[in-house]
Amino acid sequence: MVKAVALALATLALFPTFASAHGPSRQKVTETVEINAPADKVWGVIGNFQDMSWHPAVAKTEGTGGNDANATRTLTLTSGGTIDEKLISNDPAKKIYKYEITKVDPKVLPVNNYSSNISVKGEGDKSTVEWKGAFYRGFMNNDPPPELNDEAAKKAVQGVYRSGLDALKKKLETGG
Amino acid sequence: MRQRSHNGLVILAAALSAAVVLGCWPAAAEPIATHPFSEALVTNQTGDSLSIVSLADMKSVAEIAISGNPAGIAMSPDRKYAFITSPESKELVVFDADTRQVAKRFNVGEGPLGVAAHPSNGLVYVADWYVHKISVVDPLAGKVVAQIAVGDSPSGLAVTPDGKSLLSADRDSDAVSIIDTATNARVKSIPVGKRPFGITIDAEGRRAYTANVASDDVSIIDIATGTVVGTVPVGHRPYAVALARGRAFVTNQYGSSLSVFDLDSLAPVKTIEIGDHPEGIMADATGANVYVACWFDNVLMRIDTDKLTVTGEAAVGDGPRAFGLFLR
Repeated sequence: MVKAVALALATLALFPTFASAHGPSRQKVTETVEINAPADKVWGVIGNFQDMSWHPAVAKTEGTGGNDANATRTLTLTSGGTIDEKLISNDPAKKIYKYEITKVDPKVLPVNNYSSNISVKGEGDKSTVEWKGAFYRGFMNNDPPPELNDEAAKKAVQGVYRSGLDALKKKLETGG
Repeated sequence: MRQRSHNGLVILAAALSAAVVLGCWPAAAEPIATHPFSEALVTNQTGDSLSIVSLADMKSVAEIAISGNPAGIAMSPDRKYAFITSPESKELVVFDADTRQVAKRFNVGEGPLGVAAHPSNGLVYVADWYVHKISVVDPLAGKVVAQIAVGDSPSGLAVTPDGKSLLSADRDSDAVSIIDTATNARVKSIPVGKRPFGITIDAEGRRAYTANVASDDVSIIDIATGTVVGTVPVGHRPYAVALARGRAFVTNQYGSSLSVFDLDSLAPVKTIEIGDHPEGIMADATGANVYVACWFDNVLMRIDTDKLTVTGEAAVGDGPRAFGLFLR
């Protein structure tokens, strides 16, 4: 036990700012979906930072600050983990908001320094939703284990975006 | 009066050419290029490549594969070579910009990122993110000749125009190191804002500007006294600073914008909306334009420094960073 603590402390000393470090290469993911619904209606579902219930992996959204810059929310996932997020900016006229993750366990989502934006562009009765993320892998030093490498981070974020956007399309097109 | 100053110039020019003929000036073989910039060399980190953009028409004219997630870049004084860091392969890549071929690449430590070239002694300085040192590199010999211990996770590097001092933004120490290039001694560590990343020195070698990622501001250092003389709030997650026509232009990664402020009054001038995740930024020789690599959008943008608007863009490879001096 003492040995394990000593090792942990030694590791911390070697990497004093493990959580905020920036060494590896930042990764990016973009996913889109076309929805047969006008943009105002789509934004009506996703535009409220304090209500992420449209995403099937989110069980609960709790937050403060509404939809103003620096508002915060905690997403409780159906799997039990949580993600703390902060609103960077919100532009309802352009139908885009930007946010960042302020706290997440790499076991829940294997990323660091994650920022994202989600936007809606419309043309008549059709809309395109675009969800973009920028982030570093879960392991911030050289030679990451496979579950915390660049590919694992990208795959996890792609999974979140894809399942969310597909569910959004279904909800809006079937009213379900 | 006019006649006298004219004569003075002639005498100065004669003295300089005599010195060049005698081989005592400049000290190194590389002359300092003075022609206007014609190209941008943009490191595409996720794309593992280098895009070459023609500035006259803002068009990508070539994309050259460079492995190792290239990020940092500097130019030799004669602008023949670009020095590029590849953090993932732990190498410095010496790129012959005239022939557009990699001339040499070699290991320079554990986590090379920021890079700067000395104006006359032929050496290149490479910041090592993981071992908290700056490697002094002889690029043509392909070897590290010395290492300088600095603060934690050094990022941006810049050398004063007279070549006497090297400045290092030590990101995780929230400080800037000043190094005497004659002795490689670290002579000072100056506390700045939180997580300084890019660092830019003005043409006079008087002041340095750091973009502080975590405190959303720019620290202004008086280099001679080694003190912070100003702090200017900017947008969200600033990355780097360019100086042109009496103004600073700061890329805000999360803000997707450029903050512009006046260098004398330090008052804000404008916030310009640009592409997503703007990063590397550099002014052209006249200061008429600044060029910005937008990491998410895969474009290099040109911003007119008088009109303060985007006047051109060129598609580049995936994930452009252009961290350093990337125009030639």
